[in-house]
Amino acid sequence: MNIHLYLSSKMRTRDNQKELLVKQKAIELFIRDGFDGFSMQKLAKACDISVGTLYIYYTNKDDLILKIGIEEGQRMMEATMKGFSPDMPFAEGLKKQWENRSSYWIKNKEASLFYENLKHTPYAEPILKEISGNFRPIMKKFVENAIAKKELQYLSFESYWCVAFGPLYTLLKFDISGKSVGNKPYKFSKTTMYQTLELVLKALKP
Amino acid sequence: MHILIFRTNIETDDAHKEVGQLLNSHPLIIDWNIDKEDIDKVLRVQSTANNSLEIISTINQAGFMCEELPD
Repeated sequence: MNIHLYLSSKMRTRDNQKELLVKQKAIELFIRDGFDGFSMQKLAKACDISVGTLYIYYTNKDDLILKIGIEEGQRMMEATMKGFSPDMPFAEGLKKQWENRSSYWIKNKEASLFYENLKHTPYAEPILKEISGNFRPIMKKFVENAIAKKELQYLSFESYWCVAFGPLYTLLKFDISGKSVGNKPYKFSKTTMYQTLELVLKALKP
Repeated sequence: MHILIFRTNIETDDAHKEVGQLLNSHPLIIDWNIDKEDIDKVLRVQSTANNSLEIISTINQAGFMCEELPD
């Protein structure tokens, strides 16, 4: 190869700070414009970098959504599992789950909303495949243990999930929009969370 | 490894195929893709050398526009 050719072109290098900025701005844009309204050009503009730089990190829009989705999903699952064991008594384990999920959500509102929105897109499946790892088997074991110990009544998975986690996510979604039903202002609090959890535990007892 | 990024007018499936043959048979190119959804039809090449100018001339010779996207 000709040495002039080699030297005439600049090297493209990765920059962690820039990569972080790209991720933050991408999440903001997805929330604002939706997945269809998102483009690499818009993202480059929002980050004040060239489109060329953006392509150093990602091969295209799909690649970007998948990579950010997997990273966010992984962080969320790790946070959900902190201090949790499938061998815990049901009430204690579910309380831990609610605490972990809500504190992650409150600290990472935009990332959580981004991940929620992803669930209804074709990206959801490949992302889940990549991140679920031990998560599903652990949660399954937790439920099976609780049923065996007669701490939880036997239900279809969907009914169980709706009762066990649905109320928590309703509260968290109220918090994101800043209001509950009928535009009533709402801010998430541990008091409302524990109140609601108590009723959930009562409902799930055999 | 070098990541080289270009703006092109490689839009149709036929054009994609034609350029693909050139890039696939190139000894220094490890992988490549074209983002056809993007307005700039961005070509992204992973190469063992920093051979942007050579890639540009190869693609130009095949009759397509190709220029480096600035950093």
